[in-house]
Amino acid sequence: MQTTTFQQVNETLYSEQLPNGLKVYLLPKMGFGKTYAVFTTRYGSIDSHFRISGGAEVHVPDGIAHFLEHKMFDKQDRDVFQDFSRNGASCNAFTTFNRTAYLFSCTDLVEENLNILLDFVQEPYFTEQSVEKEKGIIGQEIRMYDDNPDWKVYTSLLKAMYREHPVRIEIAGTVESIAKITKDTLYQCYETFYHPSNMILFVVGSFDPEAIMQAVRKNQAGKSFSSPAPKIERFFPQEPAALAQKQVENHLAVGLPKCMIGFKDAHVGLSGEALLRREMTTKLLLDILFGTSSALYQKLYEAGLITESFDYDYTCEQDYAYSLVGGDTPDPERLKEMIQQEISHYLQTGIAQDEFERSKRKKIGHFLRSLNSIEYIANQFTSYTFNGTDLFAVLPVLESITLQEVTERMGEHLRFDQMAVSIVRSAANRE
Amino acid sequence: MAAPAKEISFQSSQVNGLNLHIMPTEKFKTTTIVVMIEQELSQAYVTKTALLAHVLKRATARFPDTRKLSEHLDMLYGAIFDIDVVKKGERQILQVYLEVPNEKYLSDSVPLLEQAFQFAGEVLVHPYLENHAFSEKYLNTEKESLRKRIESLIDDKMRYANQRITEEMFKDEPFSLLVYGRREDLAAIDGAGLYRYYQELLSRNPIDVFVVGDVESAQIQEYVKAHVKPERRQPVTLPPANAQKDVQQVREVVDRLDVSQGKLNIGCRTHVTYKDDDYPALQVCNGILGGFPHSKLFINVREKASLAYYAVSRLESHKGVLMMMSGIDVANYERAVSIMKEQLEQVKAGKISDEELNLTKATLTNQFRELLDSARMMIDFTYNGLLSGRKRLLTEMLQAFADTTLEDVKRVADKIQLDTIYLLRDRKESV
Repeated sequence: MQTTTFQQVNETLYSEQLPNGLKVYLLPKMGFGKTYAVFTTRYGSIDSHFRISGGAEVHVPDGIAHFLEHKMFDKQDRDVFQDFSRNGASCNAFTTFNRTAYLFSCTDLVEENLNILLDFVQEPYFTEQSVEKEKGIIGQEIRMYDDNPDWKVYTSLLKAMYREHPVRIEIAGTVESIAKITKDTLYQCYETFYHPSNMILFVVGSFDPEAIMQAVRKNQAGKSFSSPAPKIERFFPQEPAALAQKQVENHLAVGLPKCMIGFKDAHVGLSGEALLRREMTTKLLLDILFGTSSALYQKLYEAGLITESFDYDYTCEQDYAYSLVGGDTPDPERLKEMIQQEISHYLQTGIAQDEFERSKRKKIGHFLRSLNSIEYIANQFTSYTFNGTDLFAVLPVLESITLQEVTERMGEHLRFDQMAVSIVRSAANRE
Repeated sequence: MAAPAKEISFQSSQVNGLNLHIMPTEKFKTTTIVVMIEQELSQAYVTKTALLAHVLKRATARFPDTRKLSEHLDMLYGAIFDIDVVKKGERQILQVYLEVPNEKYLSDSVPLLEQAFQFAGEVLVHPYLENHAFSEKYLNTEKESLRKRIESLIDDKMRYANQRITEEMFKDEPFSLLVYGRREDLAAIDGAGLYRYYQELLSRNPIDVFVVGDVESAQIQEYVKAHVKPERRQPVTLPPANAQKDVQQVREVVDRLDVSQGKLNIGCRTHVTYKDDDYPALQVCNGILGGFPHSKLFINVREKASLAYYAVSRLESHKGVLMMMSGIDVANYERAVSIMKEQLEQVKAGKISDEELNLTKATLTNQFRELLDSARMMIDFTYNGLLSGRKRLLTEMLQAFADTTLEDVKRVADKIQLDTIYLLRDRKESV
C-alpha cells in the first residue's frame, strides 16, 4: 500500500493496485463520522462503439450504459437496496458521458457495506423480463428530463457544438433507442467494461485504511476475472473542429427564456498535467470575464439581462472540451451580443494583473472549501484519475498559473467561429 | 485520527442582544457563519422580507458598489456570501450565509475570520443607504430580480407542483404563501419604507448567529461583540404559528401546462410537528412509506408497477405536512393514485414487516448521523429545535428512532389525513 501525504491541505491518501488490476484509493478524513465509497467503471454513454482486442467491432444502442447501471441492482436472490438499508447505508448510482459510478454512504459497518458494493457490481444478473420492466421506469426518467428546461438548453447546446462525437447524444438515450436493449447486449457491455482493470474504488471518510485495504484485497481475491484483462478499443467518429450549428432553439414552459453560449475547443487530446493546467487556466479566464466581480456581470445584471442563475463552466475531457456561459434572460440576442462585445474588448485590452490575482485567490478558496465534501473528493478524484490527472495537484497548479498563460488561452479558446448558442423559450413568448 | 463527534453541540451565549451559537470542530477547512432572523410568515411581510434578502446583498456603507463588494469577497479567498429566505412552517427566516477558508491552509496569512465578521456586521447593520432609505437604483433592480425569481418557479416542474398543491391545501392559511412573496406587492414597496421595516426586524425579531469551524469560542464572542452591533430593543412576541386544521373533504386539483410527464402530488396533514413527542415516530412512519429505496412507494409504484422513475414521500416538519410525489404518464393517473393511497392505508393498518421497520430505523439513524459532517446541516438541525421550542440532542433523536415500535407508527399514521390530490399535466384533452 502506497502512502502519499499532501501537506498543504493536510490529507493523506493510501493506494494500491490489486493483482486483478483494480485501483483502490483510501482517504481517511479526520473527525468525520461518515464514509463515502464510490466504485466507478470507465464506461459512459459515449462508449457505444468498441471492440475487445481480437473480437469484432460492436455498436450498441444509445443509453445502454445508463440502462446497465439501473439493471446492476437486480439480483436473483436479494434486493441490493435492502442489503444496504439493513446496515444503515444509503446507496445510489449515476452515469455520465464517460463513467458509471456506484456508491454508498454510511456511518457504521464500512467493511460490510463495501463488500455489498463490490459484490453487487461484480455479479450481473439480467433477465428479459426485468429488462422489459425497466423500459417503463427509464422511459419516465427520460420524460422527466424532457420537461427540464435547464437540461434541454444544455443538451441542445452540445448537439449544436458537436457534429459527430457521441457527447451530442443524451446519456439516458431515447425511448426508441432503449427499446432495442436486450439482456444479451447488457451482458456484452458488462463483460467489456466491468473488468476490475477498468475500474477504480475510492473510499473516503471514517475508517482505518489498513483494515479496509485488507478487506478489499480479500473480497477481490475470492473472485475470478478473465486474465489477462480485456484490452478495450473505443472508437469515436472524427469530430471536425467546426460547429454543427451556430444556434438552436427549443420551446418548453419557462418563466424567462434561457440562453446558453458554448465555446468548443478546436484542439483536444491532452491528458495528465497538461489537461489539468488547461482546465484551471480556462476556469480562471472564465471567472475573470464572467464572474460576479467582472465589469460584464455587473453591467448585465444592472440592465436586467441576467439573473442569479447566470453561470459559467469549463469541461475538458481527452477528446472533447468546451466552455458554457449563460442563464435566464429576457433577451437572449442582446445577452449574446454583450458577451461578444466584452470578449472583443478583452482581446484588445488584455487582462489586468489585479483581476487575475483576485480570481486566483477566489479559486484557491473555493478549492479548499470543496475538500469539505467527501462526495466531491471521491467523484472528482476518480474522474481526474481516469484522465491521468490528480485532484491534489489542483492547488499547486493553480498557484503556478501566470497571467500570460491566461491571456494566451483567451485568444485560443474564446473564438467566435467556435461559439454556438442554445435558447429555450416558452411557446407563449415564441417569436 | 480524532474520534468522530457523536453530538451536535453548540455553545450558546448572548452577545449584543443576539443569540450566539458556536461549534468548534477541526474537521472543516472553512468556517461557516449563518445569521437567522425569524419573522412570521404572513401576507403583510412576505414580499418585503424576500426583497430584503436581495437588497442587502447588493451593497454596504463601505462597499456602495456591488462590484467592489464582490471584489472584496474574492480577496477573502472567495468567501461565499449569500442572503436568502427560507420557509419553516409558518415562519419566514431571513438567512445570511458566509463561509471563509481557515487561514491555516493558506500560504500567506491574512486575518480572514475577523474580516468575515466585520463584513457580516456591515451587511446587517450598515447597509448602503441614501437619505435613510435603500437606494432606489438597487431597489428597482432587485424588485425585477425577485419578480423573475417568482416567475421562474415554473421552470422546475417538481417545485412548481409542490407550491401549487400547497396553495390549494392551505388556501386560507399563511402556509400557502410562496417564500419569495407575491408579485402584486412589489410596486408599493419603496426604499424608505423597506428600510423602516428592516430596522424594526433587526431591532425586535429573534436573531440567532451560528458559527462552525476550527475556532475558539472566546475569540468569536470578541469578534461578534466588536463587529455585529445592531440596536436591539424589547423583542416582539411573534404570533403563534402552524395551527392544525381537520380535513373536511379530499379534493382533486388538475393544472395544465406544456409538459410531457405528469407530476402527481398527494398532500396529507400529519397533525404531528417537530415539537411533538410523536415526531420521531412520524419520521419512521414516513420512512416506511416513501423515504427510501426500500420503502413502500418505491417498491410498489416503481419496482412492481413500473409506473415511475421516482415515487417518494417527504415531510414538512413545522406545519406537519406529508407529501407523496411521483412523475407519471398521465394515462396511468388512476392507477398511480390508487397504488399510492393503498400504501398509506397499509401503513395505517400496521401492515408493516419487521424488516421494513428495522431497515427504516437503520437508514434514518444513518441519515441523521450524517448531519455531523455538514456545518450547514448541523446548524439547521439545531435551529429547528430552537424555532419549534423543542430542543432535542441528536443522540435523543437517534434513541427515539431506536425505541419506536410498530404501535407507535400505527398511532401516528392514524392521525395522517389525506387532503388534496394534485396533478400537473399536459394540455391534451382527457385522461
